[in-house]
Amino acid sequence: MRIVCPFCGERELGEFTYLGDAKPQRPAADAGEDAVYDYVYLRDNIAGVMSEHWYHGGGCRSWLKITRNTLTHEISAVEPAAGAGAAKVGA
Amino acid sequence: MAGVQANRLANGGLIDRSDPLNFRFDGKSFAGFQGDTLASALIANGVKLVGRSFKYHRPRGILSAGSEEPNALVELRSGARREPNTKATTAELYEGLEAASQNRWPSLRHDLMAVNQLFAPIFVAGFYYKTFMWPAKFWEAIYEPTIRRAAGLGRAAGIPDPDHYDKAWAHCDVLIAGSGPAGLAAALAAGRSGARVILCEEDFALGGRLLSDGGTIDSMPAAEWLSRALAELAALPDVRIMTRTTLFGVYDGGTYGAIERVNDHLPSPPEHQVRQRLWRIVAKRCVVAAGAIERPIVFAGNDTPGVMMASAMRTYVARYAATPAKRVALFTNNEDGWRTVETALGAGLQIAAVVDARPDVSAAHRSLASKGGFPVLNGSVAAVDGGRDGVRKISVSLTGGARAEVEADGLAVSGGWNPAVALTSYHRGRPKWQDDIAAFVPDGAPPGMVAVGAANGVFGLGACLSQGFAAGAQAARDAGRSGKAGLTPVAEDEAFSLNPLWHVAGKGKAFVDQQHDVTASDIELAQREGFESVEHLKRYTTLGMATDQGKTSNVAGLAIMAAVSGKSIPETGTTIYRPPYVPVAIGAFAGHHRDENFHATRLTPSHHWAAEQGAIFVDTGLWKRAQWYPRAGEKDWLDSVTREVKAVRGGVGFCDVSTLGKIDVHGPDAGAFLDRVYINTFSNLAVGKARYGLMLREDGMVYDDGTTSRLAEDHYFLTTTTAKAGPVMQHLEFCRQVLFPEFDVQLTSVSDQWAQFSIAGPKTRDLLREIVDPGEDLSNEGFPFMGAREVALRGGIKARLFRISFSGEMAFEISVPARYGDALVRNLMQAGAPFGVTPYGTEALGVMRIEKGHVAGPELSGTTTAADLGLGKMMSTKKDFVGRIMAGREALVAPNRQVVVGIKPTDKASRLRSGAHIIPKGEIPGPGNDQGYVTSVCFSPTLDQWIGLGLVERGRERIGEIVHAHDPLRGEGYDVELCNPVFYDPEGGRQRG
Amino acid sequence: MVEFSWVVRSPLEHALVAGPYGASGEAGVSLTEIRNFDLIQVMARRGKATEVATAAKARLGVAAPETPKAVQTSDAALIWSGPDQFLVLSKGGKHAINQLSQAFASSASLSDQSHARALISISGAKARAVLAKLSSIDLHPDAFPVGAAAATSMDHTSVTLWRGDDGLNGQAVFNVLVFATFAESLWHTMLDSAAEYGVAISHSEEF
Repeated sequence: MRIVCPFCGERELGEFTYLGDAKPQRPAADAGEDAVYDYVYLRDNIAGVMSEHWYHGGGCRSWLKITRNTLTHEISAVEPAAGAGAAKVGA
Repeated sequence: MAGVQANRLANGGLIDRSDPLNFRFDGKSFAGFQGDTLASALIANGVKLVGRSFKYHRPRGILSAGSEEPNALVELRSGARREPNTKATTAELYEGLEAASQNRWPSLRHDLMAVNQLFAPIFVAGFYYKTFMWPAKFWEAIYEPTIRRAAGLGRAAGIPDPDHYDKAWAHCDVLIAGSGPAGLAAALAAGRSGARVILCEEDFALGGRLLSDGGTIDSMPAAEWLSRALAELAALPDVRIMTRTTLFGVYDGGTYGAIERVNDHLPSPPEHQVRQRLWRIVAKRCVVAAGAIERPIVFAGNDTPGVMMASAMRTYVARYAATPAKRVALFTNNEDGWRTVETALGAGLQIAAVVDARPDVSAAHRSLASKGGFPVLNGSVAAVDGGRDGVRKISVSLTGGARAEVEADGLAVSGGWNPAVALTSYHRGRPKWQDDIAAFVPDGAPPGMVAVGAANGVFGLGACLSQGFAAGAQAARDAGRSGKAGLTPVAEDEAFSLNPLWHVAGKGKAFVDQQHDVTASDIELAQREGFESVEHLKRYTTLGMATDQGKTSNVAGLAIMAAVSGKSIPETGTTIYRPPYVPVAIGAFAGHHRDENFHATRLTPSHHWAAEQGAIFVDTGLWKRAQWYPRAGEKDWLDSVTREVKAVRGGVGFCDVSTLGKIDVHGPDAGAFLDRVYINTFSNLAVGKARYGLMLREDGMVYDDGTTSRLAEDHYFLTTTTAKAGPVMQHLEFCRQVLFPEFDVQLTSVSDQWAQFSIAGPKTRDLLREIVDPGEDLSNEGFPFMGAREVALRGGIKARLFRISFSGEMAFEISVPARYGDALVRNLMQAGAPFGVTPYGTEALGVMRIEKGHVAGPELSGTTTAADLGLGKMMSTKKDFVGRIMAGREALVAPNRQVVVGIKPTDKASRLRSGAHIIPKGEIPGPGNDQGYVTSVCFSPTLDQWIGLGLVERGRERIGEIVHAHDPLRGEGYDVELCNPVFYDPEGGRQRG
Repeated sequence: MVEFSWVVRSPLEHALVAGPYGASGEAGVSLTEIRNFDLIQVMARRGKATEVATAAKARLGVAAPETPKAVQTSDAALIWSGPDQFLVLSKGGKHAINQLSQAFASSASLSDQSHARALISISGAKARAVLAKLSSIDLHPDAFPVGAAAATSMDHTSVTLWRGDDGLNGQAVFNVLVFATFAESLWHTMLDSAAEYGVAISHSEEF
């Protein structure tokens, strides 16, 4: 598999680490246990297009949000995590 | 004797007669030529019997001339290089080649296991499943070993392979599989267009069927066109032609696997060269011109040596000038088979008869027959009479019911051609049925791939050239290359007509899968027993599951299943195609990564110094760490470790702790960021101070621990455990980039920047004063416990000093830039000599941390909470941090959790073992009363007995209680006392002194 | 009291044996370790990309690379190492951490990596063939021209790879910065990969 890192360009799978579903958002500090439980444990396991967190640890160390079809491995979008490339925030 | 090649034609062929080669088969000497395969050389020497079959030990010969071969499998080479199941049809001949037949005893001609043929009626599909069901205990003891001895093919070398293999990447615009007319045309078009082209050809010679079948291209003989095309391709700078290279797999995103047999054609690789190379090729486009495989027709005795694919017979005669038979019969159901007759006649062979299953034979062929003086029989071959010495007689069922017999010593068979649809089907693609050629053809392909020529069901030479050329030009355009492709090579298309024929009913065994000895009746039986789905059929009969992956058998098997189940072939369908297309040696997948290169290793800055001292090293993740430093007279590791511990506790010692993960945390929000990461607070840590920190996973379990120091207002220096250095960095980046992107914080690993040593023991200050600039105040007041700051060393370099202790002794950790690490350790030895300074390894480090009750990897097991480790009070209630909410879940704060406690045997002489289970005293051990287990143990020189840490239910409330340690693994049990985990200096006076 | 000598020892000092290695004849590959350099990682702070660019220009004379590239000045190379960050590679202390910290004080975090890496320069007719065994990156001249850089992995080891100016013979020169504790391991892998082409091994204090 090849992933186009928004910073590095196209790279091979071995440079990346898969984390999982990128949809769940970490609840705010005052959220209750149920919300955090959902965030930590409840994951969609989609046969189809899914948003996922990947880490380009073997490259530029950016966390990426990748839209991937789990049936075909086709990657339709790659975007950096909010804090990757933060020096350009507000620029 | 060697030298006489009785079945070699006097002229012709692509062999180099000026380069004769000697070789041995089953101990007998033969001769061949450069350019031969082992198979062609055996044929030239009149050898027909080359192996015994898998199940019935039937005599087998050579069926094909390529990588589809099911029968002619040999053990190639000897000793450590012995390689079983090597196809004689692709093994290139070299001087001194040694090969042996397989699956026979005592000899190929007299194989006692051929007795299996007498039991043939019981060796049917599913035989093993049906027969060896009971008694169950016989399976491992008797059935399996016996079956394994009797069946199976060649023997592995059994000793390590002495050769090197490696792996490489390649990148191109257009990847082409196959160098037949379609592949070469594609390469010419793409190459001329300016594309970067890689063409893989599994043969050692380029040209595909042109090498055997000739023809006319662009008004030139094929051979001339071929040499011109190759010269043109060689002159194109970005066209790379790789022979002896099989494209075996298709992976996601345009990545392909190929195996290059770099030096398989030599007795052994030249010095410094590799045997094989595994290629991962990244291509924008791929043109599959992998050709087609001629298929057999299934009839009784079709496995007799001397029965050969018609195209293979042409190849042996035309390309290798080797004649498989003197008097040849042909059995065909299509026009193409007749080319073998033309080739054989051209080489002066006798044609015994042509058996054509089609109702009509062309006038041209009829006139050829009358000129050649052989009959054309309309019908099919019902049986072959012969044995280990080859074909003797062929009986033919004529259309209309009469029978005829033909005397011949070789039978060429053509049942039509199956396009090589594997590569196009590896992404779960299912080929579709094409009626006019009665074969499966690709139905689409993975993204970026297209099949052309025979691989796409197009058999005419002209069509192969034009289709390949158009695909090559299109692939180059798709890859963004706009050069001119030039003119398409032109050739005539041969006529092709075929009447499908798969199986001729008759008496005697008719083989479908010759490598796995699967017969037509096995398939019929599978259908009767309900294994009708192709995936069931495959697994029940093992059809297509041998190393040849059913290249010559699958479609015939499906056709027979279709016939007996009353379905059409497309309704019956194909099984899933999976790589590799040809067997690939495990060594090639491993490449460089074997033995000491199995994985990358990391060396500490003091590694080579430690090696000079004779240190024993232990693998800790990727690291090599000094485990202990043996000295003369010490009888075992425990002696050395005990000495090292005593030296530290009584004087001073040092240990390389550079393996700890070290991370620079910078930025205005560094403190706030660390507050989110750790359970305790770091934003309030004073500059110049260190603090122990604990981080959780979001599920509330402990993730890692370590000491973090504040070196400046906006700069923290964080350490992790050795094991978690990489994962913690990844986790921190996740926190920074994904969870808390609002923070202005920067992270970078400085693990390799610093050589860090722990210096411990009551004489630590004495040693440090020797090495640190006299201006630095190391007193308790000037450098208190948990202080951290930069200091000057004598001789002018700067170091960082941290007053932290893992051993419980007065201790500092000192770090210097890594290139000074070696000098530091030597200076420590020199400066410390008056104080008896002692280097210590990870074992002594472990002993001292257990004596001190510090938790480490065995306690940070991923199932423990901060409270379990006795660190619950560190959890801040005033801030959010990763894992905070989940750590408060009912079960994680339950009063009966297993918590860290000290453990020591009641009998001081007794040894404690980690893994032992804690059971209430006097109870019978069982899951119901298992209260925890011993996590870490050591022999404590300080207490002069074995001690340990454990996770025990309500452990901290039970200090002083005697319980039972139950160790079923070692068959031991003994009483132990639960005690304070801090065995040594519980008040902590020593480390603060 | 003795003054201690602080002899630096390169991470490859033990493994590197200068001279020919592997196949005999003209070496297809030259492997040269560059020793004793200053290497500073400059990481722009949040929202400070413009300030960092300005500071780099003022202090080093060139704009910091914002894409995977290496920019050469008369006395330093600025090598992209990830979003918002680059490495300053130099010799002789002119661009060491204390010398650079002032210039980037308000815009970037600096981390001294001078001792954290080993620097290996790879050149020769077979340089690309060797690198193809180590790197999954396409190093064809069109795809990886002079000045191209990559934060990538070789043999599962993180490296910074860039193409320097061509050598005097017109051949491409590739530079690899590898973490110091991995250096010996990667070095052995490089030698194994290069042996079939013949290797000329050396080390140098100069770039």
